[in-house]
Amino acid sequence: MNDLFAPPGNDWRPVSPQLGTMRHVVVAATASVMSVAVVVLFLVLELPIWLLVLTLVVVLALALFAWMVIGRNARSWGYAERDEDLYIKHGAMFRELVAVPYGRMQFIDITSGPLEQAFGIASVRLHTASPGTSARIPGLPKEEAARLRDRLTSLGESQAAGL
Amino acid sequence: MSDKPYRRLSPLTPVARSGIFVVAVVFATWRDLLRGDLGPFALVLLGLLIAGLIYGGASWLLTKYWIEADELRVDTGVIARQSRRIRIDRLQGVDIVQPFVARLLGLAELRMDVAGGGKREGSLAFLSLPDARELKDVLLARRDAARTDTSPLPDESSEGASNPSATSARSQVEPDRLLALVDLRMLLLSTLLTPEAIALVVVALGSVVLPLLVDDFGRVGVSLPLVGGLALVVFRKIAGSYRFTVSQTHAGLQVRRGLFELSSQTIALNRLQGVVLSEPLLWRQLGWVRLDVSIAGYAASSDGEGGPSASTVLPVGDRALAMWLAQRMLDGVDLDQTMLTRAPEQARWVSPIGRRFMGFGTDESLTVSRTGWFNRRTHVVPHARVQSLRVTQGPVQRRLGLADVHVDSPPGPVTVRARDRLATEARTILEQEITLSRQARVPSTP
Repeated sequence: MNDLFAPPGNDWRPVSPQLGTMRHVVVAATASVMSVAVVVLFLVLELPIWLLVLTLVVVLALALFAWMVIGRNARSWGYAERDEDLYIKHGAMFRELVAVPYGRMQFIDITSGPLEQAFGIASVRLHTASPGTSARIPGLPKEEAARLRDRLTSLGESQAAGL
Repeated sequence: MSDKPYRRLSPLTPVARSGIFVVAVVFATWRDLLRGDLGPFALVLLGLLIAGLIYGGASWLLTKYWIEADELRVDTGVIARQSRRIRIDRLQGVDIVQPFVARLLGLAELRMDVAGGGKREGSLAFLSLPDARELKDVLLARRDAARTDTSPLPDESSEGASNPSATSARSQVEPDRLLALVDLRMLLLSTLLTPEAIALVVVALGSVVLPLLVDDFGRVGVSLPLVGGLALVVFRKIAGSYRFTVSQTHAGLQVRRGLFELSSQTIALNRLQGVVLSEPLLWRQLGWVRLDVSIAGYAASSDGEGGPSASTVLPVGDRALAMWLAQRMLDGVDLDQTMLTRAPEQARWVSPIGRRFMGFGTDESLTVSRTGWFNRRTHVVPHARVQSLRVTQGPVQRRLGLADVHVDSPPGPVTVRARDRLATEARTILEQEITLSRQARVPSTP
């Protein structure tokens, strides 16, 4: 079962553990905000206390589930640079492996939102002429993202093929 | 700029543009007109029409186009001036379209597809039909010239070509060779055998028969919009594909079609990304096939609902003809040679019916996948056109040891996908395809 997503050649390069941390922070923050909102709502509307407890339990259970899923997903990302193509794999439940030839790349994006910047990470995204290509690597350390982009850009130029 | 030799659109342009409005005015006011007196409504409409014509005339006066330094330049705008430059070497395709009113006046619209944009960026409306054809030939010839030698054209030749009618592009044009023609009988029959047409017949019959049985005439009215809508869809299909011809020209494959709105479209075969053969269940017995293509730069756009899309190369035809056309477009490779293998036994838990109709196979130049029982589609992509590859696996598939392999193509109808293959095989398919597409790509590397 595991050879389907086995690394090509060497090992998969993992993404920064900061990706998981960042997502966990988001989940924790969302769960806290929702819990507070629930408590305030129940106090204002003067609803029975058992209902409040039940709602809080549901919110926390959902948060716990999200916490675990997100952790697994964040750890699942990996990529491998080969001579002529880039492999990316991700997903714990729904798994995906993408292979993008450097010669097919149209352009490369680096994005880093405010939250990602706070954690010192960035996403690199490869675009080909096909919108189906879902070649994105989130949670790369900033220097690594810049290095990858430069390398991919130069490889893309040297191996570029027409449509 | 004004000293450059520029050309104008056809002086009939304002008339063509307001044509539908003229019809509306006459239609809305014919009773008043017949009586000889103009009501306030008619006066307002007529006023608007005259204002529109004046504006149209001013717009015509101020719209100029010319070719300069490998660009088609178009200046337009009465109030806000606009100057558009279209790089000729970036042109993907040039289509001539004749909307109904324009066709009555012998006019045509020239639509230009520019690289990168899914949207049609350039349009010249309206030119006289001969002018449109000439400009199209000039543009395509110059584009090809600009692409073959990347150095800019010498000045004197660009001077000469600034005036589209003065070039010798006509003489370079080889005579067009007719490849396929869809005859009316086959078009009508095949349209009748589509779900829409069958639904139309059923609903129409039902709305006639049911009231007789139920004795409730109020119900008839309910089905009328449905009948009308379906009839429109069916009619558009027929009108859009009327006199569908495919011919070989110097610039590529040319597709002409249309009953009211004529459309002529050139498909540059070097931008072909793949083909799809569709064999709906009802056509299969008759051996009829529809052929679509994906072209880089042409988004999967459709000319209105129900009409044939811009990607159709043959709306209906004998299988042999379609295969021959496909083979022609795919550099002479025969599709039927590719051996397709079925998805494994386990796949029936995921797709109980579909499994028996899903196939996937590769040969030295093509990747082919087939799906569907009701509408069997065979998607074909040459290895050299593969963009990227993906393997995906959901939780159920993982239990069964299955996975999908996707071949990513530029936007268009073609999507090769090997569904529900054995997980071990899926990775092999991916690696194999990566290698094959790399090898196929190498010769095209500049």
